[in-house]
Amino acid sequence: MTRRVGPGVAEVWRGLLAGGSRDVPCPYDIAELDPAVIADARRTHPLLLSSGHRLMSPEHTVPSDLLPSRSVPLPAPYGDAMIHTYRTDLSQVRALVLQHAREAGLTESRANDLVLAVSEVAANTLRHTQSSGTLNLWNDQDEVVCEIHDEGTITDPLAGRHRPPPDASGGHGLWLVHQVCDLVELNSDASGTTIRMHMTIHPPQMNG
Amino acid sequence: VDLLTTSVATAESDSEPYTLVVLDGEADVTNCNALRGVLEAEVAKQPRTLIIDLSGLRFMDSSALHVILRVNRTMDRQGGVLALASPRDAVAKMLRLTAADQLLPVYPSVDEATAG
Repeated sequence: MTRRVGPGVAEVWRGLLAGGSRDVPCPYDIAELDPAVIADARRTHPLLLSSGHRLMSPEHTVPSDLLPSRSVPLPAPYGDAMIHTYRTDLSQVRALVLQHAREAGLTESRANDLVLAVSEVAANTLRHTQSSGTLNLWNDQDEVVCEIHDEGTITDPLAGRHRPPPDASGGHGLWLVHQVCDLVELNSDASGTTIRMHMTIHPPQMNG
Repeated sequence: VDLLTTSVATAESDSEPYTLVVLDGEADVTNCNALRGVLEAEVAKQPRTLIIDLSGLRFMDSSALHVILRVNRTMDRQGGVLALASPRDAVAKMLRLTAADQLLPVYPSVDEATAG
């Protein structure tokens, strides 16, 4: 199974490892993955391991120099997605997410986490666009997925991946989304932004 | 029905006066300006202690948090103290993840907040 990750992940790892630097390999299936994904990987990782050989990636770029995330379409939702259009009634958005998350089997605490994440993203629709947003909700037995699409544009590929100072007057919204969700996928270009939030239904036991 | 209702009272604890603002419902980007209005009106009266009772708050987003953090800065400047009391689990978690709970005291109950 392959999972899409954004270019921010490499930098997040670098931050985590800043204290006692050890390399962490990120596996990519060159035979199966889209060449664009491999090209992104070569830009976002300094060192390549291939067939046991190590070499510096000639395409490597430090993340802050990366162009805004290219618009690689997200895979289509599976199953029957529920679709809801909202403008200002975020309470209704939250109620729909809570109900769906509970019915899909998320614990109350994780259902509330997902409600917070979706509400923060939907709040950005109100803040940054003049039009309505769309919530898509679906699940299978492994995970619940909520996707928000609106006409806004996020130009920072690392949006939400840096911890804002506690007393910052903004920036906590997307930070919270990344903290509470198991996976966040972002796709943004001039035509709009799609943020897909995944919650695993039976996660491995973790603290908190 | 309003998504968020607020009520304000003044009271005393060990002859120390304090202002209590009780929030009920859901606080988000759609009503954070109203929340700001209510809180700033109380802050303008320069109370020594302002306690926000969160027990009835089912949901709080980062917009509402920013209002509270802004009020906290003003209270700091005035030499007063802002405290939060009895957040539900989800709100408490959000205060922890944003580290807001390190900027202002969060108590399990209003009684404990008044005791400082």
